[in-house]
Amino acid sequence: MSTAHRSAGYAFGFLDDRAKKELRRAMLKAVSIPGYQVPYASREMPIARGFGTGGLQLTLALIGPADTLKVIDQGADDSVNAVNLRQFIELTCPGTRTTKRTAAATLIQTRHRIPEHPLRADQILVLQVPYPDPLVVVEPSEERRKTMHGEADYARLWVKLYEDMVHFDEITFSHRYPTRIAGHYVIDPSPIPRWDVPKLHRAECLYLFGAGREKKIYAVPPHTDAEPLTFDDVPFRVEDFTDPATGRRRACSRCGATDSFLDEFVDDLGRKTHQCSDTDHCLARLDARATAVAAAFAA
Amino acid sequence: MSPLPDAILEVSGLARLHGPGCGRCVAATGPEAGTNVCTNCGTVVACADIGFELMRGEVLGVIGESGSGKSSLVRLLHGDDTPTRGAVRFRDPAQPDAVVDLLALDARQARRLRNTRFGIVYQNPHLGLNFAVSAGGNIAERLLMSGEKRYARIRSRVAELLSRAEVPASRMDELPGRFSGGMQQRVQIARALATDPALLFLDEMTTGLDVSVQARILDLILELQHQLGVSMIAVTHDLGVIRMLASRTLVMKTGRIVESGLTDQILEDPQHAYTQQLVASAL
Repeated sequence: MSTAHRSAGYAFGFLDDRAKKELRRAMLKAVSIPGYQVPYASREMPIARGFGTGGLQLTLALIGPADTLKVIDQGADDSVNAVNLRQFIELTCPGTRTTKRTAAATLIQTRHRIPEHPLRADQILVLQVPYPDPLVVVEPSEERRKTMHGEADYARLWVKLYEDMVHFDEITFSHRYPTRIAGHYVIDPSPIPRWDVPKLHRAECLYLFGAGREKKIYAVPPHTDAEPLTFDDVPFRVEDFTDPATGRRRACSRCGATDSFLDEFVDDLGRKTHQCSDTDHCLARLDARATAVAAAFAA
Repeated sequence: MSPLPDAILEVSGLARLHGPGCGRCVAATGPEAGTNVCTNCGTVVACADIGFELMRGEVLGVIGESGSGKSSLVRLLHGDDTPTRGAVRFRDPAQPDAVVDLLALDARQARRLRNTRFGIVYQNPHLGLNFAVSAGGNIAERLLMSGEKRYARIRSRVAELLSRAEVPASRMDELPGRFSGGMQQRVQIARALATDPALLFLDEMTTGLDVSVQARILDLILELQHQLGVSMIAVTHDLGVIRMLASRTLVMKTGRIVESGLTDQILEDPQHAYTQQLVASAL
């Protein structure tokens, strides 16, 4: 299949060399100025804007024949966005391998989740971003937003937090939680849940953010401070999975994990059920248990 | 020239020209020419040759008709606009040894100074307040700008500031749009005073309010001025406001200062023809 595409005139990685060069330069700049939104000429891709074109362009500019790629959509490898992107990359990047295992991947493109297992220094996580600018909720003019970012003028974002506290007694960002990088720029970390925000802080791996429609690239380099905005006396909280009925933390109904981000859904019998959002994390735990059981039987 | 020991602000040679400018603009305009549009190149001289000192704890009145350059002057001093030339030196009473040249600051430093050491009350509350945010939020914004990040402290300070401006603290979480015009001005005053500024600009603060509300707002300002000793520049076209607030007054016409002196002297014994006309038409 890949040869068909090559004969159809597509270069390795679909993008032409000039596009890749520009993307790589923008990424280098983004890494050099942590949290700064670097503008770039987002290319027209054979998927619609808003379906991960920003992340896809970063992935295609980064991937080489030695890479092993994993694609995540809301924690899962087999939901439609992940499957489509993975197939497209398999078609246009002959020689590269794909995997569903986080630990085996060198490059991971993700939509709205960061894997549960901490990433290593040799791994890059590419996040798909719908809205790159956290100031868009308080300032409609992009020109003024740029000045505000330049001067680290985030008082109006804090006022939003203040108003939340006044009206709801808590900060209401459930995802896209504004996060300050290296003490200056505040970023929109893409629609990851609060659960994932602490993973940005002083991580081993490189986080790259690509917004295709909004034509911006930004980065959280390894070992960089990432602080979610909050008041000194109002601690940042992640999602609480305590079951109000039992007072205990809910567990994944498949693997029994009590330390992962859970998705809630209604099962065939109409009951509320919780499951790990990160499917690889869940499967790895099930595999480990199966191996342990098999070993016990063998012994 | 360094400012006098007690001067908080020293302004010299301040000018703001809108247009191409031709070298003859300043000479071709002014009170004698009776216009502030340069006859040679059409440049509008919003203000020129402005020089004065503001002492610590003093209220300086600036009076003049519409288009005389009073609001332009406040915009220049507050940093909302950049002068074409001139110098503004600020000596913070909290750091009396450091004289800051306001025009030499970069955008971030200027904003920081403006947010922490200056306050401004506009004629139109829509300029000074964000109507999508609660009254308390508007005041909190100033505290947050100055680096306060403790929520409980912000809440108590907002309540304190509002009660000092005679707005019931119980209404701090309401939107300013639900307040009367007089209360909106009080919220603006509370916001302006949030960071204990050294210098307060009042730009036509009571214009458009009815007389009894005006009187109460002026009372409040006088009271705060006595309590806090903050220096103020009050711009108005209302001689009554000047008489009540300002100890010293500048009279402006076509972008120039035509007369300056003690307020009583200016109102009782005006020297310049324009001031005489102004006082005569008001009394």
